[in-house]
Amino acid sequence: MSSFRQFLQRLNPLAESLLAGVIGLAIGAAIMLGFGYNPVVAYASLFSGSFGSVYSWAESLANATPLILTALTFAIAMRGGLFNIGAEGQLYIGALAAVTVSLIHLPPPLHIIVALAAAMIAGMLWSLPVALLKTTRGVHEVISTIMFNWIAHFFAFYLIANVLTDPKRGEKTISIAETSRLGRIMPDASLNYGLVVALVAVVVVLFLLWRTTAGFELRATGYNPESANYAGISWRKQVLRAFLIGGAVAGLAGAVQVMGRPPTYAVLSGMPQLLNLGFDGIGVAMIGRNHPVGIVFAAIFFGGLMVGGRIMQFSPGVPLELVRVVEGVIILALAVPELKRMFSFLRTKIKGRG
Amino acid sequence: MVEQTAISPRRAVQNQVLLEARGISKGFPGVWEHLILDHIDFDVRAGEVHSLLGENGAGKTVIANILSGYYGRTAGEIRVKGKAVNFSSPREGLAHGIAMVHQELMLVPAFTVAQNVMVGLKAPNLSFHLQQVEKKLAELTAHYGIQVDPRARVEDLSAGEQQRVEILKVLFHEPEVLLLDEPTSLLTPQEADQLFVVLRGMADEGKGIVFITHKMREVFAVSDRVTVLKLGKMQGTCYISETTEDELTRRTFGETVPDYMERPPVKFKENALEVQHLVPKGLEDKANTAGLSFALHKGEILGLAGVAGNGQSELIECITGLRPAAQGEILILDRNMTDCLPRAFIELGVAHIPERRREVGMVEQMFVAENVVLKDYRTPPFSNHTVLNHKEITRHTEGIVTRFNALVPDLWKTECRILSGGNIQRLILGRETWRKPPVIIASHPTEGLDAKAIRHTWELFLELRENGSGILLISEDLDEIMSLSDRIGVIFESAIVGMVEGKGADREQLGHWMAGGRLPAATT
Amino acid sequence: MELAHVWGILFISLHAMVPITLAAIGETIEESAGLFNIGLEGILLLSALTGALGAEASGSATIGLLAGMGTGALIGLLFGVINTYLKGSQLITGVGINLFAFGFVALLLILLGAPGFHSVPRDAQIQLIPLGVGSLSPLVFVTVILAIAVWWLLNRSQLGLKIKAVGENPAAADVAGIRVNALRVGTAIAAGVLAGLAGAYLSVDWFGAVTKEITAGRGFIALATVVFSGLNPLLALLGGFIFGFFDGFATWIATYPGIKKIIPWQFVAMAPYVVTLLVVAGAIGRVRFPKGLGVPYLRE
Repeated sequence: MSSFRQFLQRLNPLAESLLAGVIGLAIGAAIMLGFGYNPVVAYASLFSGSFGSVYSWAESLANATPLILTALTFAIAMRGGLFNIGAEGQLYIGALAAVTVSLIHLPPPLHIIVALAAAMIAGMLWSLPVALLKTTRGVHEVISTIMFNWIAHFFAFYLIANVLTDPKRGEKTISIAETSRLGRIMPDASLNYGLVVALVAVVVVLFLLWRTTAGFELRATGYNPESANYAGISWRKQVLRAFLIGGAVAGLAGAVQVMGRPPTYAVLSGMPQLLNLGFDGIGVAMIGRNHPVGIVFAAIFFGGLMVGGRIMQFSPGVPLELVRVVEGVIILALAVPELKRMFSFLRTKIKGRG
Repeated sequence: MVEQTAISPRRAVQNQVLLEARGISKGFPGVWEHLILDHIDFDVRAGEVHSLLGENGAGKTVIANILSGYYGRTAGEIRVKGKAVNFSSPREGLAHGIAMVHQELMLVPAFTVAQNVMVGLKAPNLSFHLQQVEKKLAELTAHYGIQVDPRARVEDLSAGEQQRVEILKVLFHEPEVLLLDEPTSLLTPQEADQLFVVLRGMADEGKGIVFITHKMREVFAVSDRVTVLKLGKMQGTCYISETTEDELTRRTFGETVPDYMERPPVKFKENALEVQHLVPKGLEDKANTAGLSFALHKGEILGLAGVAGNGQSELIECITGLRPAAQGEILILDRNMTDCLPRAFIELGVAHIPERRREVGMVEQMFVAENVVLKDYRTPPFSNHTVLNHKEITRHTEGIVTRFNALVPDLWKTECRILSGGNIQRLILGRETWRKPPVIIASHPTEGLDAKAIRHTWELFLELRENGSGILLISEDLDEIMSLSDRIGVIFESAIVGMVEGKGADREQLGHWMAGGRLPAATT
Repeated sequence: MELAHVWGILFISLHAMVPITLAAIGETIEESAGLFNIGLEGILLLSALTGALGAEASGSATIGLLAGMGTGALIGLLFGVINTYLKGSQLITGVGINLFAFGFVALLLILLGAPGFHSVPRDAQIQLIPLGVGSLSPLVFVTVILAIAVWWLLNRSQLGLKIKAVGENPAAADVAGIRVNALRVGTAIAAGVLAGLAGAYLSVDWFGAVTKEITAGRGFIALATVVFSGLNPLLALLGGFIFGFFDGFATWIATYPGIKKIIPWQFVAMAPYVVTLLVVAGAIGRVRFPKGLGVPYLRE
């Protein structure tokens, strides 16, 4: 009996995420009704578009790949008590670093490794000043990461237009060299070995957080910096650790997105294939309860919404942006720890009447 | 549950019951052991001082918080002048004439005294009545003989002065019942005596005073009646004139603790810890330039007595690396450790049993096993090459939990958050002493433990002392210091103002030093 | 440089100051009470949209501004309730508001027909006050007056004392009989109203149109301004002007052909964000924030 109760308790976070998801979709439905769409048709189209066939599953997983990584960035920081919303900028820089590596020639496996490493280092370097501003000047990371996102935004525009520009087509960067592309897992689908990279990152982060002294220190600091300091754990070191690892993972997100996603293998001007992946990662991390395994499932859910959203755009004509509205509502619902309690309270009330 | 009162000619007997609790119970959500309060009956009458006596963790504060509307209750009834009431906030408590002076002072440090009083007043929202407030403060000051400067900033005041502000602030609401939670913990014995005069004066005006304490001496100094509480249960109420100190002690603590623990003389000559002219950072303005100097020998227990807020916390933080020194040097085992980080202190063998055990001593959201290795996770066998060894951690934790009789349901599933203060303290004691460290800094090490556990802890300390550990014992509880220390030092305004042999130390003398060696101000 | 250019930059800076300062003084009120709302950006964006729609539908700029303020009040109420009575997480709520706003505004702009852009009719925009050397929005003056009023409220009124007590030591305020959560919700609504005014100003007044990128991080720059000002609304006026200057400068220089050749426009566009970082990094250290900032108040 008690082990059953423990089992249920372990399911609690899952129940909360599901409940938040239902609330998000319900409010999305209300908005659709308000504008004269039929939400049942729209959601049917959305979910058959995202999970209705092997091909749509492959597309959903392809969309989930960068989200897993940007969500890990947020989750690592959150475990350390930090609010890193800088994955967005770090990801642009990582993607462009991966593109830059295509300027040199290397044999296939090595070229991929060098490109991934370059992206990780670039992401780390981009988030290093955020960590230093926090540890030396006390600048809140919410402000600094947003500022660095905007700086990265314009810096990336500059690089795309002036430095890494494709000599033949000015509206994009040079393409990733054939030798450093991540191959497709399924012919004709976008799904590629970037997913494997993301899953390896998940396992590494999982091990790091719960099986190493580094993870122990990071979590202790995140829960209670004062106690951690008392135990001889340096807060500064954890801030650096969280931002550097996070930056590396976010850089990786940018890299897999350009090295793996057919057909362009380049960053287009305006960065349509990169924009908002960092911010969506925050939502994914929260729905995944900042746990690497939860993040995988949340990212697949979100990747599915993105793919299905595009289908929904065609058949009932509901704009893709609805998906982000749903995302915002889900996060608002998750911000309320009382949500589940309120829900069970209502349930018992209704039961009591019935 | 049975009132052990006999009919008595003592005053206040016929007076009106102002506030009454019947069958009050309280269980904290998520706390796994037992009810915090178990069917408490309690009342206070006009014109009396009614003491609530019990050990730390007995539930005294919880009762007061419930009566003042700050906490909710699980069961039971509260009556004000015979009428059942249901408070859900201190605001409603105040409206019924019930005010509470909390142990943790409820003041805004950045505000002046008058501003702190203003905050609670029902003045028209957009106008400032500072001058009126200052005038009324002066009246109250004169009436009760409580001295404070209304324009002083609270953060610049001493703990004792802040206490007075707190009482004045509460008096502005003209309460009929005043609940005071351990009000003497921040006062010298002499200041406490002054407070008792004030409280008696208020009772004589017809107010009902509830006085919470764990000190026997104070119960006899001020109260008309006393209610004893133990582990959330009533141990009876009686008139002070009809009981004795021994009887109350037996009811409160179950057994008596010895006045002095006998032990052989200190065997070692070497210093375990030496502090020279230390001024902790942040106290530059308050401490004098000579700073703080003393030495702790190996195999010695040095007790440091003093009123809270005289630089004890800052001293502890300095000698554990948590706070830098503005001036002076810290030598541990003859090594200069000034400006070292906490980890260096830990690695040298400085154990620290902190005062705020939940906030500092534990990471409450982490599991029991993780907290037991909070300082050892980075050394083999608990981790090898940065990879944690869960098997070794489990084995070690089991050992400590057993040896210290901690009650924990599961090492890897129980978050320390849900453990009681006593169990948390047991785990901390285990974690900090299992390596038999050369230096132990212990702040209130037995707070929240029952008499048996206190005895065990004292025996453990004496054993560690035999082994050569130097133990610095910091406490506001003079009794504990006097029972355990080889030498007793008194700290006042971040300086050692006196030092005596532990055996046969004179309480009066210590109290005198705790007040800064000056004569107490004339009581009004 | 000609004098007309100096006036031009000054006026642009003053116009750019308005949204940043308005949002910042609102945030100052709620941060004084212990609430930290990083959803300012989202409030600005949503109220820019509702402000534009309100102005267009009614043909009156004032109604537009009121619609923006109403939107801000609603979001402020939501933020306040989640983070007091419902014991929510302030940062997460803020992120949720921002993401919701990005999605909702983009969605509505599409549903309204013109993807990414919706202009406000000329006669439903705020009429500028001509001043000889140029014309200035009346909202510039409103902003200055509001900054002074909020300063007075926080530092010279008893309500201000209560707000600060709630932020510094909510338990003390509670014991003194203040309804901590109610007061916090009140400040969140006030902050929402001011941010809503700032957002509506963007679309109804300054730009005369609403796009999904109209806020461009101004909500976050307002947060930085609060840090810079150390919770002093009068300094928020100065901070808003400094950030407004670089904001306006970037806009102005982009239209100035000579300089464009020397510095790529992307680097000019970065300027406000770089300056924000530098100013905040320089300001911190002397700033003292309320002790209860960001923490939900629980009695037991």
